[in-house]
Amino acid sequence: MEQPRPPLTTSAAPMSARTLLEHFPEPVQQAFSRFQAARAPEDADNVVVAVVIDHMPRTHRGDPTLPDANRLIEDLGFDSIAITEMVFFLEDLFHVRITNEEILRVRTVGDLRAFIREKLAPGSISPSA
Amino acid sequence: MSRRAVVTGLGFITSIGNDRPTVTAALRELRSGIERVEYLNNPTLPIKVAGTVKGFVVESASWRDWKYPSQYDFPREALRSLSPHGLYALCATEQALADAGLGRDDLTDGNTGLYCASAGSVFMIHHQINQLHLSRGERGNPMGVVSSIAGTLNFNLAARYGIRGAVSGFVAACASSSHALGCALDDIRLGRQTRMMVVGAEDLNAESVLGFAAMRALSTNPDPALASRPFDEDRNGFIVSGGATCLILEEAETARQRGAKVYAELAGWGQASDGYNVAISHPEGIGLSDAMRRCLADANLTPKDIDYISAHATSTLAGDRSEAIALRSTFTNVGARPLVSSTKGLTGHPLSMAGVMEAAFCAVALREGFVPGNVNLVTPDPACDGLDLPRASVDSKPNVVLNNTSGFGGSNVCHILRRWESV
Repeated sequence: MEQPRPPLTTSAAPMSARTLLEHFPEPVQQAFSRFQAARAPEDADNVVVAVVIDHMPRTHRGDPTLPDANRLIEDLGFDSIAITEMVFFLEDLFHVRITNEEILRVRTVGDLRAFIREKLAPGSISPSA
Repeated sequence: MSRRAVVTGLGFITSIGNDRPTVTAALRELRSGIERVEYLNNPTLPIKVAGTVKGFVVESASWRDWKYPSQYDFPREALRSLSPHGLYALCATEQALADAGLGRDDLTDGNTGLYCASAGSVFMIHHQINQLHLSRGERGNPMGVVSSIAGTLNFNLAARYGIRGAVSGFVAACASSSHALGCALDDIRLGRQTRMMVVGAEDLNAESVLGFAAMRALSTNPDPALASRPFDEDRNGFIVSGGATCLILEEAETARQRGAKVYAELAGWGQASDGYNVAISHPEGIGLSDAMRRCLADANLTPKDIDYISAHATSTLAGDRSEAIALRSTFTNVGARPLVSSTKGLTGHPLSMAGVMEAAFCAVALREGFVPGNVNLVTPDPACDGLDLPRASVDSKPNVVLNNTSGFGGSNVCHILRRWESV
């Protein structure tokens, strides 16, 4: 299995979490602040769903609640570049590393939520500089 | 040539207006688009003015921060791969298609092509490369390449509008969009395409401007009302501009059958190079003279048939003089005396976009029946002796106009547009 690389250092990361989320609705920014303070998985879930919505092509916007069964490519219209954009965004936001092999296994919104939860679980968190 | 080509749609994001009526009024009434600017928060820079693009906020390299006029509504999947000039181009193209009465479904059968011209976005490249260096190669914008390199316009517009005909980009500095327009005419004449979208666009930011200051090519005159003064004895360099122009060119019979409004016929084009210097025009304008002669021959016209010349003159010492000499040798010396003006006194110089923008201005002038004047021209350079350079716009009805463009490396491209009475 590929060894996880360390996250980008703050100085090398292109944008801070505050900057990354500045165009997001206030409740999403609050959820992220709560997650940073208490690390409740459901707060991370809400942020992840907002990030999916933010990267989703407008032409495929459907159910705004984004059920877990929605497939990123087939149902939501993501292309591989939008998935890459989203992966970078999540890496920078949560200070995690996501490999190409890992993301290729993520097909649905539910897969992504579970995957990010796993990445953020105690013991899995990469230390941030 | 049995197949003729006509201009049926125009779209503008320019320093003098973001729609055709505003641009037309500015050309007729000589309303300048040049304003004071400050780049890199450095008030000591000698470059004080530019032909600014109004109504857009594109200082950030992230499309999420951009603001643009509210009549346009683009989804993230369109915005994510754009540079600032790509956004301008999308707006101009939406205008031109609406003006021509065309929808996306009219463009996707392979009979419509798309030729574009821009220098790419040095601004976006700078941010992309800076991010790569900061992250030691571990992070880049997935859209960094397609939003920035020369070709970004054709990548984005072809995908957005589903173009399946000829698609390409042209890179010849300030002559680029004139090459695009000339090759578009050839494709229609040769029967390869029935419709061509021709788009020129450029960013306007420190990265697009200050490289020319390093060449000492820009005016250091701080007065927006006087800095760009083509053909004037007191000119001291050009003023950079940006924006986008889209011109829809159609085979004339196709345009007639669908009842399209016609601005003008694109009757011919010609090109020739100086073979002289990487950045300076030939002092006698030999390449431009040859390009004008070839253009006249292509349109089967003589110098005396030309009523108006839209000059390339950018307000540089060498370039304007070279063009004036070329105009005298081609026209004055054979007894022809067309009106001559450069609209860059109003707009500044939008680099790759100049050729198609000024061809579009010519189409407007032919349809509306006027000739734009030479704003800011007070004392013509003696090299202009014998040229008819009206200061104010002229309410004449030109029938045939010539549009000149020149670029780095000595590329010279000319077009002739002709009044179209009926289709």
